[in-house]
Amino acid sequence: MNSAFKKLLCRFLAVALITLPFQTGQASMIGTEQVTAAATVQADRNLVSSYLSRSQTVNEFQALGLDAQDARDRVASMSDEEVRGLAGQINAVPAGGDGLVVLILVVFFIWYFAFRR
Amino acid sequence: MMPDFQAWFAGARLTAGAFLLLAGLSGCAALVPQTMSLRDAWPQGVAERSELREVPFFAQREYQCGPAALATTLVHAGTAVTPDELVKRVYLPGREGSLQVEMLAAPRRYGKLSYPLAPRFDDLLREVAAGNPVLVLQDTGVGFITNWHYAVVVGFDYPAGELHLRSGETRRLAVPFTVFEYTWKKSNYWAMLTLPPDRIAATASETVHLAAVAAMERVAAPDASFAAYAAALQRWPDNVAAGIGLAHRHYARGELEQAAAVLRRTHARHPQAVAVINNLAHTLSDLQRNEEALALIEQAATPAGSPYAAAVRETRALILHRLGRDS
Repeated sequence: MNSAFKKLLCRFLAVALITLPFQTGQASMIGTEQVTAAATVQADRNLVSSYLSRSQTVNEFQALGLDAQDARDRVASMSDEEVRGLAGQINAVPAGGDGLVVLILVVFFIWYFAFRR
Repeated sequence: MMPDFQAWFAGARLTAGAFLLLAGLSGCAALVPQTMSLRDAWPQGVAERSELREVPFFAQREYQCGPAALATTLVHAGTAVTPDELVKRVYLPGREGSLQVEMLAAPRRYGKLSYPLAPRFDDLLREVAAGNPVLVLQDTGVGFITNWHYAVVVGFDYPAGELHLRSGETRRLAVPFTVFEYTWKKSNYWAMLTLPPDRIAATASETVHLAAVAAMERVAAPDASFAAYAAALQRWPDNVAAGIGLAHRHYARGELEQAAAVLRRTHARHPQAVAVINNLAHTLSDLQRNEEALALIEQAATPAGSPYAAAVRETRALILHRLGRDS
């Protein structure tokens, strides 16, 4: 077991310790997110990967300029599926920012000379 | 903004005409396919004109169209919030913008549902016509220039060929259907709604809606989740997740009888659903009806690999313990 993996595992266990008991209201009550997520043998693997993805995304958010608390809050608002899709992709997915609606030549011409609908 | 462009480009007509002829030949259908299909089939039952004039407007600051667009839909959904407050929820300094997944995540904190729309022009029009402003992601650049931008569609006028957007610094930006699709297509027609918890989108799919409710439940106030599950179960009485969710909210409020009643109805419709059996048995046990609970939990079939096996085992042990029959 190399140390990077150990570190990752420890991180996961730490997060799991803190958050797992709150997953469902009662120890043996089954929550909705468990039911809506595809209930297969994948479930356990997904659980692990979600927690890893969450801690990874918190780190990535911090690297992109968020403070630790905001980063954690923001990741906490994502569903498991969303966070698994985002982890490692944070610099590849679109970030909507610009508001100047620059309708450049091609687009404008289509509208102006041809048709609007 | 349009009139300035009009003047500016007036001299370029000839070049453009030639270009357009070429573009026309190569096929506009490939450029704006959904706008082309609207010509043949306008969505049934949707008026050709519609506008949600009451939707508020927040002019964006530099790079912050995300917070501005989200404030627009959140305020419309009944949350008093400003773009400035949303900056710390959706703006990512290192990217000088906001990510789609965060636009979906942020409203949940305020007890509002984020419903991701199917990538269809029809659905967008239907939602606007039904009173739901649609938050969209556009790429207003061309070719290799990308310029991601969030805006809110609040209306459309098909005979005039334009959509109306709250966008950037413009309160009512009129954009032709063709141009809009060209910019929207590049985000794979990404669009979302921000809804009060008990409101269901006009184009809602049962599965997507329930996933949206479950995602909100993680971080929203319990009352919002309660309202959301109650509305979902009313709309889709057969839905297992809605039954489990509503029962959970009752249970958390200490309303065990109501929780059991909801679970019983769901159990009657889905006798094989293990999660329902487990939660009902647990709730009955809490109501000190342990014999009934035990009979029920014995019916829960948990084949190898069932994600509920552990929960069922625990529930059974709890019931036996309360009956004084610990092994």
